[in-house]
Amino acid sequence: MLDLLPEPLKAWLGPDVTFWLGYFTNGKHIAFFVSVHYTVLAALLGAACALVFGLMGAALWTSRNPWLRWPGAVYVNMVRGVPDVLFFLFFPLAFEQAMEWMRASAVCTPEAAAERAGQWPPCPDANIFFSTYEYLALACVSLGIVYGAFAANVIAGAMRSVPRGQLEAARAFGLSARQVLWRVHLPQMWIYALPGLSNVWMLIIKATSLLSLLQIADIVQLANRLGAPNFSRSAGLVHGDWRWGYYLVLLVFYIGLTFVSERVFAALTRRASRGMAIEGAAR
Amino acid sequence: MKKLMIAATALLMLGGLAQAATVRVATEGAYPPWNYIDDATGKPAGFEIDLAAELCKRAGVECEVVTNAWDSIIPNLVAGNYDAIMAGMSITDERKQTIDFTQNYYPPDPSVYMVRKGTALDFAAISGKNIGVQGGTIQAGYVKENFGAANTVKEYDTADNALADLNAGNVDAILADGGYVRDIIAGSNGALEIIGPDVKIGGGVGVGLRKGDAELGGKLNAAIDAMKKDGSLDALIIKWFPDMAPGPIFAGN
Amino acid sequence: MTLVDAIWADVVALWRPALLNIYFAFASIPLGFVLAIFVALGKASRNRPLSRLASGYIYAFRGSPFFIQLFMFYSLMLALNLSVWKPLGIDTIVLNPLVLGPAILALNTTAYSAEIFHGALMAVPRGELEAARAFGMTRAQIFRRITWPNMLRLAWPAYTNEVVFLFHATALVYFTLPVIDGNADLMNKAGELFERDYNALLHYSVTAMFFLAISLCIFLIFGTFYRHLMRHTEGPKRIKFTTARL
Repeated sequence: MLDLLPEPLKAWLGPDVTFWLGYFTNGKHIAFFVSVHYTVLAALLGAACALVFGLMGAALWTSRNPWLRWPGAVYVNMVRGVPDVLFFLFFPLAFEQAMEWMRASAVCTPEAAAERAGQWPPCPDANIFFSTYEYLALACVSLGIVYGAFAANVIAGAMRSVPRGQLEAARAFGLSARQVLWRVHLPQMWIYALPGLSNVWMLIIKATSLLSLLQIADIVQLANRLGAPNFSRSAGLVHGDWRWGYYLVLLVFYIGLTFVSERVFAALTRRASRGMAIEGAAR
Repeated sequence: MKKLMIAATALLMLGGLAQAATVRVATEGAYPPWNYIDDATGKPAGFEIDLAAELCKRAGVECEVVTNAWDSIIPNLVAGNYDAIMAGMSITDERKQTIDFTQNYYPPDPSVYMVRKGTALDFAAISGKNIGVQGGTIQAGYVKENFGAANTVKEYDTADNALADLNAGNVDAILADGGYVRDIIAGSNGALEIIGPDVKIGGGVGVGLRKGDAELGGKLNAAIDAMKKDGSLDALIIKWFPDMAPGPIFAGN
Repeated sequence: MTLVDAIWADVVALWRPALLNIYFAFASIPLGFVLAIFVALGKASRNRPLSRLASGYIYAFRGSPFFIQLFMFYSLMLALNLSVWKPLGIDTIVLNPLVLGPAILALNTTAYSAEIFHGALMAVPRGELEAARAFGMTRAQIFRRITWPNMLRLAWPAYTNEVVFLFHATALVYFTLPVIDGNADLMNKAGELFERDYNALLHYSVTAMFFLAISLCIFLIFGTFYRHLMRHTEGPKRIKFTTARL
């Protein structure tokens, strides 16, 4: 990376600065910078999944049919009692096992299965290998499941907050129940849901720090690897324990993400609330 | 929905079959000089990465090195996330209950105690001390069994993290493989040293394999045999472990 | 082995680790509560630097993941060991996970709780404060008799949720700090059980049940105290739970 710098510039910077510039742009650091994309992808796709699960959860939970309402209520309330990290670890494992189980019923011979009784996978042919990106996709879905429950709560509340008068007026215009839902109720719901959804987004951002628990080489894992003391001359620069410095960088990175998100949501809220008769709306 | 699931299953099956051609070798990437992430390239390097490349060439298989945290390296092998482990893993009877091993590619090497320079420890009656180990290693088992009652045993997820605590004075001694410790001490600029008796545990280091994976095991065993006979394994060991006692290691056996 | 036996075996294996999670929560909540009151008062203070400092603290801790806070404070404390903790002779205390874990949890919950208490402070009815002043009460009297009880009542439902989230956060402590003498917590033990037989559904469900049961106990205890707080008022006295960590 350092080779890109012209010689005169290197001479002007001096050997010390050049050395550190080279160190902080070596292969291991480049891998660290590149791994940010796992975090960003997980946050964006996780939020998209959470929105989908949130809408479905809210629809179930507010349904008049008790057979739909009860599963919805269980889903929305489950996350109150169980930590997100448990879901986060459990879902990818369970999904992989479910897939392997399905495949086992197709490809395993009874003899092969009997030989491996009590072990997993049921037979070697049933084994499925997930690549890093497939694990990342699973991580996004598990983020979606956990924070979808939070989002469902927000969306259900927002649906209730839309003034009755708006819906009655729409019905008086002769709109069908479906039209009222899609043309009036849902579009107006967003403005009431935005503050809550902004909160859920912040939670999702912070939850992306857990990716390393799924063996994804994300920024947290690489920060640990970079900062850990190295006394092995073959591995590269010999240095002491620099971990807290790298973690401080991550801390600042996340605080920055939060700060930017807040600004974006504030702008979104201003935009969405144009013409709405609610407190804080732009006039 | 059902159609979608069948399609997804079919896709996964095809994906699994297509990938079956390459052998995935898992390493930890945090145990120099065995395996580590190279500063310059950001990729795994070290004795076992060189060895894996040579073994795969001789065995005629395509290999890919992946990294996995130490504490889940055996479960993830069994679960089929990769096909072999080369991570400085000693051959033990306990591990043999869950996985298979090839013959050793590194001879039995006593574990040693590493301390900050000037630390005195009475190994005959050691008590009230903090002893650091990497969790899930043979050293962890040994220390817990022998010193656990009178001392505090601290288990770390990587050897690096244990080393950080030793440096910072949070543990009094670390027990680890001789090959690892000698490399660390050579680079520590006199800050660390070896004391006390050698601890003879472990039966050498071999490639970890899923139970019953005889095909891959046979190929790798043959390749290791060949490398032992022609002396290339000795040369590789001496290249990465220059402090190793001189003399033939495997050649001629 | 029947299913009931398998579940029972897990319950037996997990109850001691569960005590560790309960300990982490118990050790950090009182400290976090007291600190949060001070930080909330600081943020509400008219002293600009003090208010800025408190706001900054709250923003930093709420804006970053607890997982990274754990990593950072552990490695920071470690870096200070030889120069500070050793000479003071308190290194074994400071770096013990049973002390450091709750300390970092307390720092984290202080920020979230302080935000809740600050919101409640701002919502204390003005009329009551003005009446108290008109009565000639001193500032200390006003705080003790008007501000404090009002703030506690207003903040209690949200604070209850925060305590439950803090309890859930204890699940992360031993992903970071070294395990001493094999004292594992719930998540550690669940992982260990899983690696024995790969029965993810069984082990993680039983672990989830432990978290669920303890969370419900927290809701019950805090709900009872809320009814006590609201005993003089009319209307509903049940805590309405939100799912978002505020």
